[in-house]
Amino acid sequence: MNTSPANDPRREPAAISDDDLLAKHGQTVAEKAGAEDGARHGLLLIAAVFVFSGLVLASTIYLNRYSGHFNASIYNENGKPGGTAAAAPKALDPVALGKRQFQMACITCHQANGLGVPGAFPPLAGSDWANGNEERAIRIVLHGLGGEVKVGAAVFNGAMPSFGKVPGSGYNWRDDQIAAVLTYIRQEWGNQAGPVTPEQVTAIRTQEATRTKPWTAAELLAFGH
Amino acid sequence: MTSAPLTSTAEPPASDPRAIDRAARWALLLLLASGLVWLAVGGVLALIHSIQLHTPGFLAASAWFTFGRTQAAAETALVYGWAANAGFAVALWLLGRLGGAPLRGLGLVKIGGAFWNLGVTLGVIGILAGDLTSFSLLQTPVYVQPLLLIAFAAVGTAGVLAWSGRRVGRTFAAQWYAVAALFAFPWIYSVAQAMLFALPVRGTMQAVVAAWAGQNVLSLWLGPLALAAAYYLVPKITGRTLAAYDLAAWGFGVLLVVGPWTGGRHLVGGPVPAWVPTVGIACSLLLLFHFMVVAINLRDALGNPTGSTALRFVALGVAAYILGGLVDAASAMRGIAEFVQFTYFAEAQTMLAILGGFTLPVFGAIYFLTPRVTGKAWGSDGLIKLHLGAAGLGLLLLVGGLAGAGVKQGLELNDAGTTFAAIFESVRPWLLVATAGVGLQLLGGVFLAVNLALQLQPDSDGAVVVPQPSAEPVP
Amino acid sequence: MKNSPLFFVALFGALALSFGIVVLVSLRQLGQLDAYFDAGEGAAFPSRTPGLAARGLLVYRDLGCAACHTQQVRRPGFGADRERGWGERQSVARDYIYQTRVQLGQTRIGPDLTNFGERAAKAGTDQAKLFLNLFAGQGSMPAYPFLFEVRRIVGQPTKQALPVKSRAGYEVGPTRRAEALAAYLLSLKADFTYPEAQPLEPATEAKK
Repeated sequence: MNTSPANDPRREPAAISDDDLLAKHGQTVAEKAGAEDGARHGLLLIAAVFVFSGLVLASTIYLNRYSGHFNASIYNENGKPGGTAAAAPKALDPVALGKRQFQMACITCHQANGLGVPGAFPPLAGSDWANGNEERAIRIVLHGLGGEVKVGAAVFNGAMPSFGKVPGSGYNWRDDQIAAVLTYIRQEWGNQAGPVTPEQVTAIRTQEATRTKPWTAAELLAFGH
Repeated sequence: MTSAPLTSTAEPPASDPRAIDRAARWALLLLLASGLVWLAVGGVLALIHSIQLHTPGFLAASAWFTFGRTQAAAETALVYGWAANAGFAVALWLLGRLGGAPLRGLGLVKIGGAFWNLGVTLGVIGILAGDLTSFSLLQTPVYVQPLLLIAFAAVGTAGVLAWSGRRVGRTFAAQWYAVAALFAFPWIYSVAQAMLFALPVRGTMQAVVAAWAGQNVLSLWLGPLALAAAYYLVPKITGRTLAAYDLAAWGFGVLLVVGPWTGGRHLVGGPVPAWVPTVGIACSLLLLFHFMVVAINLRDALGNPTGSTALRFVALGVAAYILGGLVDAASAMRGIAEFVQFTYFAEAQTMLAILGGFTLPVFGAIYFLTPRVTGKAWGSDGLIKLHLGAAGLGLLLLVGGLAGAGVKQGLELNDAGTTFAAIFESVRPWLLVATAGVGLQLLGGVFLAVNLALQLQPDSDGAVVVPQPSAEPVP
Repeated sequence: MKNSPLFFVALFGALALSFGIVVLVSLRQLGQLDAYFDAGEGAAFPSRTPGLAARGLLVYRDLGCAACHTQQVRRPGFGADRERGWGERQSVARDYIYQTRVQLGQTRIGPDLTNFGERAAKAGTDQAKLFLNLFAGQGSMPAYPFLFEVRRIVGQPTKQALPVKSRAGYEVGPTRRAEALAAYLLSLKADFTYPEAQPLEPATEAKK
């Protein structure tokens, strides 16, 4: 080979030793204070500081604009807290809620068409008990109804379970649920009675707070039509 | 960087680089050989993946090579196989050289290296069998992860020992970067393992952790390893002191402090609170300072007074690294991210980081260190130059092809009228270009392998001159 | 960089700082996210994936479907996600709380799948059509023939047999993995609009 080992490209020659490399770069800082291009060097450092500050400014502006106030619920970078279209939950439709309650529990006996089962379960469609005085209707749902009851022309003798917070009841429905299911019943299948409000249910529940037994027809009729 | 020599007045005796190289020979050759094998395996998997992008039917009949699995396997083989092994070798070698004493703990390196490669092998086979984790750059199956962590710790120990046991008090930027890479990875990886696999966090929190860890694999592990090689090789080969070396410490500091925050930029528009990607994007902008410092410091690589091909590799690699940083910052901003998110552009960025920013400087380092470690010259300088050409052109075609495909795809994705079939047809030419790029890079690897085989031949001809003391090249 | 211990402490501190802010703060915000109970519907959302669909999620994971399909809808205005019918609202963290490993996806080589079940129901894509697509591939989507098997017809062909030609006396039908995957895909829907996912009121949008 005609290239000496010192600059044979296949050996990838180095220009300085490791010790010199370390030494030279160790001196760069020390000599900058008094060296000939110290001024230029100083300018470079100042320029670097400027550039860094500029970048800090740019990134802070970006951060400020698009941070969404670091809020956990803001997914849109343009958002501000409390700015979603429906900050408050939609008002619940009592009829829809009541329909679901009905389908969960009442439908097994009173049937989907509200006509009940003749001889076993009374109808709700056109029933005076459902469409009449709320006092009776609410009490029936809260505590249940037992014994003979005349609905329309027929007489039924069964036991309707209780849906309020009564020992032995598996249900424990809230006031708004009871109000909703009654509202649903009173506007379904041709019934045209007015809605029942949760406040009415609360009032009656408080009034009858100590009651645990189901009602009888005679007790309920005392509340008037 | 005030000099603080261990002895009070006199400089310590000159280090003996040849002794350092000789001591580390087998450990480094083991790591390098494993790395090159993984480069081949990863390259083939990447080629398969690249072909499947434009020809979906390729190997689709086999569950082992279905698209999702080959992508994960290619990425794992390249990052945890090639990049890890090569990175270990380069980092340990230069920590030993700059530390001034033969490396301690080399037995640990050999054992750790063997177990690391065992883990990655099991990992890649596991991925092809379906145990991929679904998190980008963290795809190794759960059952090999602890093994990888322990193996890494074993290998990294030698590097940390070389740093803390260094002969001279003053240190050089290459050492900071190498040690930072070796120190940071176990923390990143163990956090990922704990929060994603051992005690998984809930829902999209996993995406946040995966973005943090995945980005750190590139910015805080692979990036610093390549920078260590570059910072060492540029003054070493040119003989010139680095241009603005005072800034190097600031560049390093900004990378370490700001770099880990940039992971959030992958989650733009995603199901995480808006501040997470915003913080990532803001920090990507701030991180531009680090790239500026690297550019100023290493611009001498472009000068290349000695015509060294290794330096050309470094120059190309540093250019790719800086370009990667600029592109990352630009494409992170929401105005641009809207178009390039979820496209091949992201894959282009990853490939630029792995095959450009990391691989090219490390190739330069490999070409530089291997003759010193083995004591023999490379077989042919022409092959080195051919490798440079193939790697450079291959990278350009791959990244350019994927980026072009990505931009086209992004523009068409944002137009609701364009069907996916139409998008596929319009990006196909770009994807063919990308496949050509992968093929070229594989070819470059072949050149390297041939050259290495030539180098490791027993001394039979006069091509390798036994160095005489008077004609000693600088070590 | 002088003192070894200080250097490592500083390195660790830098990592810990980013981890603390990016990861731990988001963990505090998202880590305990729970289902949202809507009194109007009387149910909690998101609903959990039913049995076979949950196994289909495992098939989805191991085939790496997330490499081509995303499962995150971007907000209207950011890209064309709504125009393409992928979802009316942005995906939020609460949509993913029951996913054992989120499959957010990296690339959209294929369409977003967050509401695929809903779209399929509207378009009439049933299990049979899905099987055919998986078996044969479509455009940029590769074929997945290994999810199907050739089996001997015993008595009558099964209902799930694909309408593809095979040897006399044999049919091509889905394996359990294909059935699970189809069940999973057809169950995908983001079924509720949480308060945090509502669109912004125009007045509260910060000036652009």
